[in-house]
Amino acid sequence: MDRVVDELGLVPEGGLMTLYFPCYESAIVFRVRSRENKGFEAFDYGPLPLPAGTPLPAYEGTSTTVPADGVLPARSYTRDALTFPAPAFMSTSVFDKNDVFRLSKDDADTLFHVRLFVHPPLVRVEVRMPSNVPQYGFQRRRASVGVDTLWIGARRGSAEAVHFPQVQTGYRFGNDAYWMDLRTFVRFVFGEYRVEVPKSPELVFDVLTKRAPSYWLTLPVFTRTDALEEVLTKCYGFPTVEGRPRLFKLYRADEREEALKDYAEIMKQLRV
Amino acid sequence: MREMRWLFTVRGEASPSAAGAGGDFSLYSPDVNNTFTWIRLERGLKAKVWARRLEGTTSFRLLVQFSPDTTTSPPPAITVDSAYLASPSSLELEKRRPVVVQYSTGLEGLKFAYSDTGGAGKIAFVAEVEVTDEDE
Repeated sequence: MDRVVDELGLVPEGGLMTLYFPCYESAIVFRVRSRENKGFEAFDYGPLPLPAGTPLPAYEGTSTTVPADGVLPARSYTRDALTFPAPAFMSTSVFDKNDVFRLSKDDADTLFHVRLFVHPPLVRVEVRMPSNVPQYGFQRRRASVGVDTLWIGARRGSAEAVHFPQVQTGYRFGNDAYWMDLRTFVRFVFGEYRVEVPKSPELVFDVLTKRAPSYWLTLPVFTRTDALEEVLTKCYGFPTVEGRPRLFKLYRADEREEALKDYAEIMKQLRV
Repeated sequence: MREMRWLFTVRGEASPSAAGAGGDFSLYSPDVNNTFTWIRLERGLKAKVWARRLEGTTSFRLLVQFSPDTTTSPPPAITVDSAYLASPSSLELEKRRPVVVQYSTGLEGLKFAYSDTGGAGKIAFVAEVEVTDEDE
């Protein structure tokens, strides 16, 4: 069976990537036409962009202060999601100097597949997409969870996300250890993909019924947002139905004909 | 599914002033910006103490101590492992089986202490501590 990702966890050229949106109960299937950074997928970013003196909330309900650049104090977390400013040498040339992975809406055929690794891996990580919207919930979102809630709502040491054009994706970090202010370091392993949506309804159906190999990533998108819906509809061209983007629904295997018809209608309107 | 592993070095130094002295080591780690005494982590994690190196200008005993509740004052400290530097020199101990501390409540702590010093002098130790969220 074909490998859906390479040794770095990235989708190889010609491979398929399925992005599942829980809030729509549907998905997008992309084919990676090309990888623009083949051979230099690692980006040793450096410490977390936390300047000394930044106030941070603490798990005990109090607050604390970053003691030195890039240090995450004991029992603290970032209230807002962080984006990663571009290094000086590229800050005047990238689209958004305050977010090195943010793309323009004119970059519709480009996606950043980002795997973030933070040291020490004890650090808790949460992805926010868009960066200002809490996405993690529990029990149909009766409870909101995230890096600010202990024991649930975050991973340790790593996170994986896709950065769509225009949408700002951010990350929150937490240090739940006592008495240890952690010196941090971030490495990204990323793929800058040129993508297209396959134009074969049969292929999309096979992917979404798990009959064709594809890398499957469930995005942390449990809440609908205007920012993301604008990209899906205006940038990619997905049609809307009842005010929400009409992506590729996950049909049952015995609903093939209905699925193919639905997918074909969607594909007629796509721009990527 | 859970796979976090963090291996870090801690070093502690002390200058006992007399024979028979004891106390806690204040710990330094390149990964940590401050000094600390207890390694207290949240529930679900596990700390493993692997290799230890002892050195000193006098003899001393290194104690690896566990507390089930670091929030009490003073926290109870149970010695779970020890090593003795019998003379001014250095001693390397590579543990094939680590000392393991499971954090079940998040109140537990792990610290390093010394006792039985042979006299005034300088003592130090270095340990490799692994923090993991593995199930086994």
